[in-house]
Amino acid sequence: MLLQLRNIFKWVQQGGQRVFLLKDINLEVAEGEFISIMGPSGSGKSTLLNVIGMLDTFDEGEYDFLSESVHTLKEKYRSNLYKEYIGFVFQSYHLLDDLTVEENLEMPLLYKKVKGSERKALVADMLDRFNIVGKKDLFPTQLSGGQQQLVGIARALIGNPKLILADEPTGNLNSQQSEEIMELFKKLNKEDGVTIIQVTHSEKNAGYGSRIINLLDGRKI
Amino acid sequence: MFKNYLKIAWRNLLKNKGYTVINVGGLALGMAVTLIIGLWIQDELTYNDYFKNKDRIAQVFQSQTFNGETGTGPAIPRPLEKALKDGYGDSFKHVIMCSWTNDHYLKYGEKSISRPGNYMQPNGPELFGLEIIKGEKDGLREINSIMLSASTADALFGNEDPIGKTVTVSNEHKLNVSAVYKDIPVNNSFNDTDYIIPWEKYLAVNEWIRNAEDSWGNNSFQLFVQLADNTTMEQVSNSIKMVKQDLNENSREFDAQIFLFPMKDWYLRSNFENGEQVGGRIKYVWLFGIIGAFVLLLACINFMNLSTARSEKRGKEVGIRKSIGSQRGQLIYQFLSESFIVVLFAFVVALLMVLLSLNGFNELSRKEISFPWGNIKFWGASLIFILFTAIVAGSYPALYLSSFRPVDVLKGTFKTGKYAGLPRKILVVLQFTVSVAFIIGTVIVMQQINFAKDRPVGYDKEGLIQIPTFSQDFNGKYDLMRAEFIGSGAVVEMSTSSSPTTRIWSNRSGFIWEGKPEGFQEDLAWTEVSPEYAKSLNMKIVEGRDFSRDFATDSLGVLINETAKKYLGMENPVGQLLRDDDDEDPNPPLKIIGVVQDMITQSPYEPVKQGMYVYDRFNNASYYNLRLNPDKSASQNIATIERVFKEHFPDIPFEYDFVDSEYGEKFASEERIGTLSGVFTALAILISCLGLFGLTSFVAEQRKKEIGVRKVLGASIFNVWNMLSKDFLKLVVISCFIAVPIAYFIMNGWLQEYPYRVILKWWIFALAMMGAMLVTIATVSFQAIKAARANPVKSLRTE
Repeated sequence: MLLQLRNIFKWVQQGGQRVFLLKDINLEVAEGEFISIMGPSGSGKSTLLNVIGMLDTFDEGEYDFLSESVHTLKEKYRSNLYKEYIGFVFQSYHLLDDLTVEENLEMPLLYKKVKGSERKALVADMLDRFNIVGKKDLFPTQLSGGQQQLVGIARALIGNPKLILADEPTGNLNSQQSEEIMELFKKLNKEDGVTIIQVTHSEKNAGYGSRIINLLDGRKI
Repeated sequence: MFKNYLKIAWRNLLKNKGYTVINVGGLALGMAVTLIIGLWIQDELTYNDYFKNKDRIAQVFQSQTFNGETGTGPAIPRPLEKALKDGYGDSFKHVIMCSWTNDHYLKYGEKSISRPGNYMQPNGPELFGLEIIKGEKDGLREINSIMLSASTADALFGNEDPIGKTVTVSNEHKLNVSAVYKDIPVNNSFNDTDYIIPWEKYLAVNEWIRNAEDSWGNNSFQLFVQLADNTTMEQVSNSIKMVKQDLNENSREFDAQIFLFPMKDWYLRSNFENGEQVGGRIKYVWLFGIIGAFVLLLACINFMNLSTARSEKRGKEVGIRKSIGSQRGQLIYQFLSESFIVVLFAFVVALLMVLLSLNGFNELSRKEISFPWGNIKFWGASLIFILFTAIVAGSYPALYLSSFRPVDVLKGTFKTGKYAGLPRKILVVLQFTVSVAFIIGTVIVMQQINFAKDRPVGYDKEGLIQIPTFSQDFNGKYDLMRAEFIGSGAVVEMSTSSSPTTRIWSNRSGFIWEGKPEGFQEDLAWTEVSPEYAKSLNMKIVEGRDFSRDFATDSLGVLINETAKKYLGMENPVGQLLRDDDDEDPNPPLKIIGVVQDMITQSPYEPVKQGMYVYDRFNNASYYNLRLNPDKSASQNIATIERVFKEHFPDIPFEYDFVDSEYGEKFASEERIGTLSGVFTALAILISCLGLFGLTSFVAEQRKKEIGVRKVLGASIFNVWNMLSKDFLKLVVISCFIAVPIAYFIMNGWLQEYPYRVILKWWIFALAMMGAMLVTIATVSFQAIKAARANPVKSLRTE
């Protein structure tokens, strides 16, 4: 078992009333799964993903990640846990514009305090694996959307995470680029055993996964 | 990791060039100001440090009380020397009598120069620790010797070896050069002493000084001491307090008190008020120190404001970094290192600015500050200064930016909430409060100077020159020279006086007159003049008449000024007698023949002192006063005068001063403060405006979408401009209302020091406020109008 959510509630206070963003979510994710979260806008897909990714908090319920109780952990431990095991991929890539491709890839390793020589090797591996060696000195704005997302995924993978969280990873891409990215996810899942949870609008993309979770108004249906 | 931060910081600087210029430029400007002020303060604080025994040297001072008012000064009588040596010999290592620093002519061969110097007892050079370059250390043992400063020796002898050569002083005394000492630096009380002549010589050539050996009443000398090792300044100072009164009964009437004035206080704490030490230049050290700190603070505020204003842009970066595993501490560290890099960069720019402006500053402040390249302490202090600035400037952005929640900034729902701008607003208010207070302060300083300058001086100082006549050669030549000068056509009238027009060198008491109140201890300024004095200066005779050569009795006549008339309590002074109160050997009585208009001889900020102008019977002239021919140019006149002068005094260097520029010297110190505070005010305003400019551009960008929507809904350019400007103007108005009372309080206090002072008017404050608002509107409008004119479709499409 990679992670388990039990009775997760998240709400905001609006005009004296509670508006629920997540309502009684129960979810178990085993290692090696490829899950797609679907649902209309505002149904709480991204919120759920952020909660899983520990970027966001929740108000009620329990969350175990690799048998650690996330809800009781201190910020610092949570951050360590997260640094170690989770990689994020965003719809709008969120690369650091001031850094080159190579430097962007290196960033998570810096935060993990990986040694210099090892860092260089890992980055070189990753560039090689994604076939972007020639672009290593370019800045993100000099790349196409698909290439940027490739770098984004490479960055998420470089720390060798157990879990990749992708928030509409193909939302800004055209259909051909989309397909390439999804194929990559599939390959990662199959060959490297990386657990993937993605949020998507597209039935087609959802089809790449092994399981689909539908949300409506913060509730699993 | 640090390398990575460095990279990001550097690329950020390059990418946002406008921001970089404002941020680094503003910060560099602030640092440059602070550095220069720091160097200036350092120079002030190390005044007299050249003297190795600084902590153990003191000058003997005296306080005396006349009519309930205590005056304190360095002038002491000769018998005090013996009294201290005999009675307190154990307390001192050295007790050195010294003359005032006066100009004399020095001549060697054909070369003749005029330089200031002192007469001193033989151990003087040892007490001050002068560095002897050539000749004997003990150069004052032989009565006919002279010690020269290096530059004086150079001026007289050039490449020749001066030791053993004979210099003619005042065109009559032949003295042998016994030693050459290294020039005393500019920031030193003795920087004027270009040569030293033995005290014995002083006695030998001046009868009045020999006669003063036992005269406790003749306070005409200086006395310097170095303490013995086993005692303290305070102990000795307390023990000698009553020495004069113990030995001299007459001085009890004036409560004469003797004390030691330590060298460390000579320069910075030399003001006495009613016998109490009340500071002095130290207040300017404080003033400029505070200004420097404030200017730096303003620059730091800019840095903080611009960094936080850019938070929307950096917010995304924070989000990404947090989402790939950065902890808050690491982000704080990152932003602080960025701040450090920017500050370091700014410091380098500031150093350049300081190097470029140091000469100008030296000229302005009359200093010889050089850049302390080799001074480890300076670099150490600089490093601390950089770190401090980096932390002050970077702390707020570091703490603020690193607190962003990644989900918010990445989702784009991040809003700088209603109060996020509040600290920024407070900082802007602080900036403008300081700026407005600076403006008001500067205007008031300038006003005070102009007020004193506009004060009538009581004579015509334009077209008047004075020539020093400090030599026996001039004795008895007055009538001849007057005829020659006037005959040459360059001069229309001429006179002599015992002190320069712009100073009082001598004061007298001991008169008796009709109606003198019982126990009144009078004190009058005393100037001996030739009969043409009033005429040559264009002074106005208010009562009676001027001196006249037609009346032989005028040689015992005296002119008094209007203040003296009131001071002496005379309704009709003309014809009254001022008698000497000495019973045994009285001087003949002086008869008042006229009253002249008050003339400013001392501080233009103080009331004119009661004074008398006496017929010069004993060749006591120190200056020729020449009224130039107004029909010719000054340079023509001067050339003619020099030619005539050289015909009669070929061995004496021709020197002259324009009286109006001498008078202008009286304002030098205040004007310097005025100019400096003007410059610093301008810089403070510039820095504040730079910040405001940057801030507006960010606010305009931040509200781009809002502006677009408003324009689509029909807002005019004016509406948008109004909306953007109003917010900032409000802040400046608040600043004004904080600054005005503070400035009023401080400047009112400053003005109290001047008995003759300008009255603070409300419009000064109104003007400063208006000025600040206009500057604000101008600064803000540029960005506001630019934002308002932008095509709304563009700004809306970017979303």
